[in-house]
Amino acid sequence: MDKRLLARLEGIQTIETIMKNLNVKRKTAIDYVSILKKKGYVKTKQVHNHKRVYYIEFENKLGGQSYIELINKYSPIKISENKIYKIYGKRLTIEETLINAIESKSPRIILASLILFQKIKNWKKLYQLAKEKEIKREVGALYDLTRKIMKTRKMNLRYLSNSLPKKGDKFKEIIPYFKSKDFKDIENRWKVYLPFNKADLGEYK
Amino acid sequence: MIDIERQQKLFITISKFINKKINVYAVGGTAMMFYGFKDSTLDIDLVFNNDKERIIFKEALKSIGYQKMDSNIVYKKKENQPEMFTLGNERFDLFIEKVVLFYFTENMKKRAEERTYQYGENFILNVASPEDIIVMKCATDRVKDREDAKRIIDKYKINWDIVIETAEEQVKLGKEIAVMELGCFLEELVTEMKIDVPQEVLDKLFKFFNKQRSSKSLK
Repeated sequence: MDKRLLARLEGIQTIETIMKNLNVKRKTAIDYVSILKKKGYVKTKQVHNHKRVYYIEFENKLGGQSYIELINKYSPIKISENKIYKIYGKRLTIEETLINAIESKSPRIILASLILFQKIKNWKKLYQLAKEKEIKREVGALYDLTRKIMKTRKMNLRYLSNSLPKKGDKFKEIIPYFKSKDFKDIENRWKVYLPFNKADLGEYK
Repeated sequence: MIDIERQQKLFITISKFINKKINVYAVGGTAMMFYGFKDSTLDIDLVFNNDKERIIFKEALKSIGYQKMDSNIVYKKKENQPEMFTLGNERFDLFIEKVVLFYFTENMKKRAEERTYQYGENFILNVASPEDIIVMKCATDRVKDREDAKRIIDKYKINWDIVIETAEEQVKLGKEIAVMELGCFLEELVTEMKIDVPQEVLDKLFKFFNKQRSSKSLK
């Protein structure tokens, strides 16, 4: 029963759409949501007017945390998941999420994740992860960029001194072929091309 | 038999004994459970990139009490058999690169990386796409594999182009009989289990097979 119900209601629903789709009364629609909820297939969000929207899919049953969910929790720029990446058996940290976002090389994900610099507490961990992925300078440049648009905690001095480019280091790209017209100062400081111009950061205002 | 909740818990437990990052691919019933095509599975089928990663995983299994078993019991004399480990009524089938008849190709890996589940720090599990699960089901071709293929086709809108391309890719990799095997497997699904596989798909596969046969006879 619940599998058939799931197949018929999979997607984004409200009580009204369920009533319409299945041609049932309000109480029956609520009962159906409750059956699916018990099985773990439903995620609920409240929108304006205290209306509830139900995200019904099998994937919800599997639980876990995702990087995108964590970014969406803090960022005003909401992003959708085009790949499934779920994590189990450990707590996802802000530091890992930021590194993962930069590694995605997606302008939208990187832009949305800038706000995570406000939440960084463990600079040592961020440094270790950035070093492991060889993106210390990219992290530094994006941090400086973030400071231009919002208040953040101060970068750990050790991070700064260990990550600034040395003589002879070549310029790196965060996203291939993307350069900034507006943030040359940061680019030159870190020897990293930034993928954003001033206008791209407008969504943070 | 193992269900999805138990499987998730088991993977988390195993991950605690894995101390190096390993990238593994789930195929068969295990992969099907991630899509909700199946509630439980007899065996957990995993494909590894190399023996090094399989050894790490095997050690983790042994640490929680799994024991090696003879794969001939299940796979008879088929080539590229997995290493099998069992505990109670749960079983792991651990393949490397090839699943019996077929290669787990780079394209299959790329598709699997669209759906990734990470357990702990080091155990990364990518789930084969429904199209690739069907192709792999054809490779193992046990009685339950046809039922599984039926479930997938009934519940999911299969991109048949991927299935055909994958079979052709197997031929290019040297698995000459892949297209014929897949054609026969799908035809049996149509005739014996009344599954709706587009005729166009079967025609394409047999056309490719005929081309393959005639180029062989010319040689």
